[in-house]
Amino acid sequence: MKQASVEASRVAVPRKPRLPRSLSAIQRYGLAALSVSVALGAALLLARFHFRDVEVPLFLFAVAVVAWYGGPGAAALTLLLSCVSFDYFFVEPLYTLYISLSALPYFLVFASFASLVTWFSVVRRRVEAQLRQARDDLEIEVAERTQQASLLNLTHDSIFVRDMNDVVTYWNLGAQELYGWTAEEAIGKRAHDLLPTVFPAPIEEIRAELLRSGRWDGELDKTRADGTQIAVASRWSLRRDEQGRPVAILQTENDITERQRRMQQIRALNEELGKQTGELEATNKELEAFAYSISHDLRAPLRHMAGFTQLLQKSTASILNEKSQRYLKMILESAQRMGNLVDDLLAFSRIGRAETHKTTVDLEKVVQEALGEVRQDTGGRDMVWKVGDLPPCYGDRSMLRLVFVNLISNAVKFTRTRPQAEIEIGCLKQEQEQVVVFIRDNGVGFDMKYVNKLFGVFQRLHAQEAFEGTGIGLATVQRIVHRHGGRVWAEGQVDQGATFYFSLPNHRESNL
Amino acid sequence: MSSFGRILLVEDDPKDVELTLTALEEYNLANEVVVTRDGEEALDYLYRRGSFATRSNGNPAVLLLDLKLPKVDGLEVLQQVKSDPKLRLVPVVVLTSSREERDMVASYRLGVNAYVVKPVDFHEFVNAIKELGVFWAIINEPPPGSIKTN
Repeated sequence: MKQASVEASRVAVPRKPRLPRSLSAIQRYGLAALSVSVALGAALLLARFHFRDVEVPLFLFAVAVVAWYGGPGAAALTLLLSCVSFDYFFVEPLYTLYISLSALPYFLVFASFASLVTWFSVVRRRVEAQLRQARDDLEIEVAERTQQASLLNLTHDSIFVRDMNDVVTYWNLGAQELYGWTAEEAIGKRAHDLLPTVFPAPIEEIRAELLRSGRWDGELDKTRADGTQIAVASRWSLRRDEQGRPVAILQTENDITERQRRMQQIRALNEELGKQTGELEATNKELEAFAYSISHDLRAPLRHMAGFTQLLQKSTASILNEKSQRYLKMILESAQRMGNLVDDLLAFSRIGRAETHKTTVDLEKVVQEALGEVRQDTGGRDMVWKVGDLPPCYGDRSMLRLVFVNLISNAVKFTRTRPQAEIEIGCLKQEQEQVVVFIRDNGVGFDMKYVNKLFGVFQRLHAQEAFEGTGIGLATVQRIVHRHGGRVWAEGQVDQGATFYFSLPNHRESNL
Repeated sequence: MSSFGRILLVEDDPKDVELTLTALEEYNLANEVVVTRDGEEALDYLYRRGSFATRSNGNPAVLLLDLKLPKVDGLEVLQQVKSDPKLRLVPVVVLTSSREERDMVASYRLGVNAYVVKPVDFHEFVNAIKELGVFWAIINEPPPGSIKTN
């Protein structure tokens, strides 16, 4: 195969203008008449100067010329006109069309010779026309092939063709760029010598697959002209001749070295991630074991402290002075408080570990339940409740209930010093993806300076004797809201009340 | 209340044993309490083996069982009791510090009769033990074959 031209400008091959087609009928027969006239004129002129016997070759020449340019019909006319002119002007008796019997063979020989000349001329002409046609066709095909070859050169992929003996017969620009061998260097060489290749499977299997299905693709490691290694994605197509015999293999390849390197990186990162996940799981298990152990082992000594202190109180009630009895009472209270802390901490850790069971939740019902639970602790206080419309949302019902219980009981607790407590529960203008719920009170509020501390575990902004609590409620609220993919925040001012907000997704697509 | 059932208390912590016995004393039930300190000892008592080989015949009216025990833990004891046809009818009350759901679920799966979390507050603790003792040792009619004292 010819090496493809590189320049794109050669792609479009201009058609050569063809020779003028055969003359028109009038021109052809005109040519016949003209030729005979010229030949006759020349013959008569030469005869005047006493040249003898030139008229026959002149007429033959006229026939030959007309046969060449005018075709067989015009040649026949020329022959007829020549015979008539010859008879009239040169055969005795002159200036008549009478042909004596003795002159007849002469005419026949002349006619035969002229016919022969005509026939040669016509055949020659036809052969030439066919040759010209064949050449034109060839030119068109060459132009097309050159164009196709140039297109193959435009692709970024490396494309080459090798015959069944592994000898390279075509090599595009992409192959040159990828492997460093030019087409001149590559064509005629064995592909495997040119590019030492590591195959993913035995070469016999690959060949068998190629012969069976006509295709093969896979990843190959090749060595380039400069000796560097390269990984390529390779696609092979088998070309067969008309009889179905395999004749060549078209190989299209592109560089995947970078891709493989990235995949290697991704694999390494994944492994690292898997390891870290494993470590996290182990840590989680440890934490779980820790929480379990707290549940079991920390509560027992507390119970003993409280139990024996009470037994001591009972047995020494008559002996101990007031101060000592107060000490015992404080020990008891501390044990009790520690017990509450442990219980709250356990509940908090359970929320992190428990699985969420998400459904569509009717928030209004949940709020009513939470209110029912919290109101028991408001005995005798002047409370004003305002509960607005709440949309349904998607989440774990019992966890969301805990959120409301915590926030509402907080509001109840921190409005204790108010003559009339006002607590409002409502929903901000609904956003597209989420529901924002707020709980507002007119209680003691807080300093926005400390807003970041509000949701921390065991963080408290008030003295224990002013407002009791373990500091776990808002941490629990935050943990639940985060597990729902929402956000929790607060606004407040000292002595001006506080508002707590949390957002929840109102659709199913949230994860966790 | 003419008869008391015998109570088998399985508890490794001596302080808990003392508190429990103090609570039961108020109803004069302490005399009928057998204390074992781990799961193996409890099973020895139930099967009359080892140091209990010579005890008189009969099952306790109730088994008060802690979960976290040395050697054989409470859930294993519970499983053993509930899978033995001779012991299956003995009422078992798990008395534990653990509020963990998995302990509760595991206990109920194994067929526990009651699950009581020991309260930190002594009053509540005493009340709980008293109620347990009164209910299982006095009010409840134990299955045939239980030890009774007149």
